[in-house]
Amino acid sequence: MLAGVVVLVVAVLMFGTGARGAAGPIQNPDSLILLTYGDPESLDPAYAYDTTSDGIFWPGIYETLITYDGSVLSRYVPRLATEVPSVANGLISKDGLTYTFPIRQGVHFHDGTVMTPADVQYSMLRFMLQDRDGGPSWLLLTPLLGTDSTRDSKGAVVVKYADAAKAVTVEGQNVVFHLKRPSAAFLSILAAWSFVLPQKWAAAHGGWDGGAATWAKYNNPKLQDRYEFDHTNGTGPFSLQTWDRQTKELILVRNEHYWRAPAPLARVVIRTVTEFAARRLQLQRGDADVISVDRPDQSQVTGMADVAIQDGLPTLVVQVMHFNQKIDASGNPDVGSGKLDGNGIPPDFFSDVHVRRAFSYAFDYGTFIRDGFRGKALQPNGPIIQGLLGYDPTLPKFTFDKQKATAEFKEAWGGKLWDTGFHFTETYNTGNAARQIGAQIIKDSVESLNPKFKIDVRNIQWSTFLQATVQHKGTLYALGWAADYPDPDDFAQPFLATNGDYPKRNGFSDPRADQMVRQGAETADPAKRTQIYRDLTKLAYEDVPGIFEAQPTQFVVMRSWVRGWYYNAILPPLANVGFDFYTMSKQ
Amino acid sequence: MSTFIARRLLLLPFVAVGVTLLIFSLTQLLTPAMRASLYITDPKQLNALPDIIRKYHLDQPVYVQYWEWLRQVLHGDLGWSETAREPVAIAIAGYFPATFELALYSFACILTLGIWLGTLSAVRKDQLVDHISRFTSISGASLPTFVWGLLLLMIFYGHFGWFPPGRLGLQADLFVRSSRFHPYTGLMTVDTLLNGQWWLFWDALRHLVLPVATLTYFLTAVLVRITRSSMLETLRADYVRTAEAKGLNQSVVIDKHARRNALIPVITLAGLLFVGLLSGVVITETVFNWPGIGRWGVAASQQLDIPAVTGFALAFAGMLVLGNLCADVLYAVVDPRIRLK
Repeated sequence: MLAGVVVLVVAVLMFGTGARGAAGPIQNPDSLILLTYGDPESLDPAYAYDTTSDGIFWPGIYETLITYDGSVLSRYVPRLATEVPSVANGLISKDGLTYTFPIRQGVHFHDGTVMTPADVQYSMLRFMLQDRDGGPSWLLLTPLLGTDSTRDSKGAVVVKYADAAKAVTVEGQNVVFHLKRPSAAFLSILAAWSFVLPQKWAAAHGGWDGGAATWAKYNNPKLQDRYEFDHTNGTGPFSLQTWDRQTKELILVRNEHYWRAPAPLARVVIRTVTEFAARRLQLQRGDADVISVDRPDQSQVTGMADVAIQDGLPTLVVQVMHFNQKIDASGNPDVGSGKLDGNGIPPDFFSDVHVRRAFSYAFDYGTFIRDGFRGKALQPNGPIIQGLLGYDPTLPKFTFDKQKATAEFKEAWGGKLWDTGFHFTETYNTGNAARQIGAQIIKDSVESLNPKFKIDVRNIQWSTFLQATVQHKGTLYALGWAADYPDPDDFAQPFLATNGDYPKRNGFSDPRADQMVRQGAETADPAKRTQIYRDLTKLAYEDVPGIFEAQPTQFVVMRSWVRGWYYNAILPPLANVGFDFYTMSKQ
Repeated sequence: MSTFIARRLLLLPFVAVGVTLLIFSLTQLLTPAMRASLYITDPKQLNALPDIIRKYHLDQPVYVQYWEWLRQVLHGDLGWSETAREPVAIAIAGYFPATFELALYSFACILTLGIWLGTLSAVRKDQLVDHISRFTSISGASLPTFVWGLLLLMIFYGHFGWFPPGRLGLQADLFVRSSRFHPYTGLMTVDTLLNGQWWLFWDALRHLVLPVATLTYFLTAVLVRITRSSMLETLRADYVRTAEAKGLNQSVVIDKHARRNALIPVITLAGLLFVGLLSGVVITETVFNWPGIGRWGVAASQQLDIPAVTGFALAFAGMLVLGNLCADVLYAVVDPRIRLK
């Protein structure tokens, strides 16, 4: 042992910790190599609803009708449409219910076929009607059909194809959206969620053919049911060459027939490398250009030669520890015995608000922000975070208080819980250092309150983790939310509406919240909206759907030869932040 | 000799049945729903667990379930791996070559170095070379693999840039994925030669150096110690002293008389080492981002991916049985007494 330590010390003294970079010529000058620890769940733009998957195909592979103007979230530029609709140019009706998009001509999909307005209409209908559990379809369903799901609470299809077809129509070279009610956020939704793929290609590979009679068969698909799961055919500056699920590598290659000038980069390589040291050394040697770095590891890349770090980037991201109130206990070892007998938890363990409050008081927010984010985060007071309309720092929030936590636990389950105790497993995604710290904090804190309280911690590969939570297998699990579009509705609905992303996963429902979320989405007056979202924050404090742990700032770590990156808070974070590969190069 | 091998081969099916019984009995600790997942070979079946429970008699007596499961295994259906997002059999076939290649090179180095250093230490007992050899091997075994792995990575990749992690560099990776490259075996160093691509071979070899060095350094120690003690014992034997007294050259005495007999315990250990390497060297694969079966096996067990874990256990058990068979055959080759028994 001593000999080994001596060798190690000598080696480290001789070579340092490896802060020496690969000075000299740019390596792989036409390729951008990005190392992350997440793996994509699906590349189907109507299915994927996680930052890794979305960050891979948007805006590189699939494009939207309009998009954000660089970093500016309040301004849009046309993409597959030729104009950004406004009331001034007559493309938005005065009542705010009709949006007309003139579709660009001469745009080709990656398979060489020409994009038509019919493809746009098909893609929008497919996006809405596919509507998988925990998917993104609600984003278009809400403004266009006035519902956030195609199914009722029992899973029966309730939406009619005719209604959807009437909501998105083709008029010559235009595609027209007919909204159910005015939506202040509609353009910002379309700027990020109007991906276009070819109808014939999808149908030829077993996908929906666009017909009224067949759509229901394609509603709520399972993950790999679709050809589009691992095949893409967009109009973007890059096409998918390979997705090797064994080596966990994706290669995007430049679309030489792109309707704008071809991208400077010939290819983008995205690899999953779960070991941080391997990611860091590859960045140091110049074999990687961009890597994922969690806050706790930031010091290990700070000061590295030829590596640039941009820090303090404001985000619309919130880290949350979720309570699943309706756990699927079948074949689920995370619930232990599945009963309130000290060796497990019942499936509705978290349905008792005292349990949820107890956990919220038992969480040490200050330590989490200090250790998980090196202090560069703030504690939110609910789902409406800083930067959104309706955020109010004066509203109440949970504080770390073991006495209050104990009092709540003593009240939980009719006073039984304190005596019986519990044992379950909480989960987070592999490689996420901050979430690991958060999971450990809650474990240590809760276990310290009562020796009969036992929590195990388990990490799960990103894509499998997402599937497990959608299938209601999660118990207490750490997962964040990144904005789909910069509006409080995008945080209120996914956290508080019955059909929202997390309430669906977690069995949370409050009719008062449903009504307020709907009001917030339909109200145009900013003052009224502000009040609605303040009220929703108070409601979240009462209902405690989860522990709102932190709203972090972000940073990006890349080789200094990388050029053309810009920060956009809505681009899905792939390696800490999102990337528009089209503008990027190496010089 | 042939009788000995035939006898061993005849025992093989019984061992295999024993192994499957053991693995199957472990699956009985799971709920019917979790066991049903072993029969899923397509994600579309995920919603049909009650049907699968009925179809595969998972609510029937254990022997019926065992037979159904065995039938499925014999048809190559090991279930669906959620971790790999493909059938378990395909996942094993996909991950295995990378691990096999790493194991093969590491094993060759461990065996060569271990026997050579062990012999040298024994022959020059208590001399400088013995001390150095023992110091080196003890230092190799005294620190965890990930420490050595990271250290080697920091020095030989981070500092010098000689040996990168992963299995191939970017340009090599792109070439291998192109239509110009034909994968014959899945072993990169072999396929690159068969394709006549020397630069690819060199690239694949560069990527092998550090993980092989890590494993070699870590695992050689045990072999050195076993070889050394076995050699010391043999060198004290009467027949060795007789050979020396007859005036035979020392190299002949060591190579032909002593080492051959000293190798018997080494062979046992080597067989187990090789199988251990084949089952996946998880930490080394993780540190060097090596896309092998070990990393997948650990990810599957963390995610309670039962079909993958069961398939992995079956594959590992199969390799263990074959490894032991090879070791038995080798005993017979080096030691005539075993053949004659």
